[in-house]
Amino acid sequence: MISLKKRFFAELIGTFFLVFIGTGAAVITLMISQGSTPPNSFNIGIGALGGLGDWLAIGLAFGLTVAVLIYAIGHISGCHINPAVTIALWATKKFPGNEVIPYIVAQLIGASIASFLLAGVLGMAAVTVGGLGATSPFEGIGYTQAIIAEMVGTFLLMFVLMGTAIDKRATPGFAGLSIGLTVAAVITTLGNITGASINPARTFGPYLGNLILGGTNLWGDYLIYLIGPIVGAVLAAFIYQYISSEEKLPAGRTIRERE
Amino acid sequence: MKCYMCNLEGKETDAVAICIVCGMGLCMDHVIREEIEVWEGGFPLPSKKQEHTLPRILCKWCYNALKVD
Repeated sequence: MISLKKRFFAELIGTFFLVFIGTGAAVITLMISQGSTPPNSFNIGIGALGGLGDWLAIGLAFGLTVAVLIYAIGHISGCHINPAVTIALWATKKFPGNEVIPYIVAQLIGASIASFLLAGVLGMAAVTVGGLGATSPFEGIGYTQAIIAEMVGTFLLMFVLMGTAIDKRATPGFAGLSIGLTVAAVITTLGNITGASINPARTFGPYLGNLILGGTNLWGDYLIYLIGPIVGAVLAAFIYQYISSEEKLPAGRTIRERE
Repeated sequence: MKCYMCNLEGKETDAVAICIVCGMGLCMDHVIREEIEVWEGGFPLPSKKQEHTLPRILCKWCYNALKVD
């Protein structure tokens, strides 16, 4: 197996790109929507569509990045790029416990670097206008509602991951595409509810960036993006295992070939 | 089956293997045995290199044609 040090870097790089491209799409959508005063030639109406059109675009930026990263580093580190996925795989005894912390640390570092680099590339407007793509419940959405929404979204993500990647009966080669499309679908729907994180690392980076660069301090909401995704992913892993397992043959019916 | 390469050299030697690519019969002097690494697993778990390699029998020509490095 590839050494833990190299897999650490693979997870870091993977989460970096997920957050840079994904939250980058969110930040740029907000910046384009805002436009400038007085209007200039770049105020071309992108983002003015609002609603699901914008969320689909953001969802696809995340989803396509996830899909290609799975094909790029899936065989190196497993391409979890999400602490909820790492924890769920560990909870179902598919991933060693002593590697959980290194993986999560790598994911958090990668996400943080991405947020700071995004601010560096786009300037302070990325923080003041785009909030670095930080997630937060939308108006009228309570704390518990937000946790449930994140839980449902991450449940679907982990459920698809179990069915397309862990299950040996799955059609080979389609996991990356399936999971990427799942991420895009979830973000399109949950976007205007919670910001659709479904990944504690994806929220950690922008939160840290905002805190240090003078943006809005949203750490009070972080539990939503910690509890929801982790509970959702762990539940999905166990439920998939249960519904996909065959009933054991009675002892008397066990077939033994010649030894 | 006789060794094709030996036959070209005017000798007649029994073949002990067949090239997996072209099907040429080969004697022990002309056979090339490659050891192929086997990696198992992958997303969402890291791939693991298996302890045992997979043997691949080739003739000199196919070995040279397939050689990447």
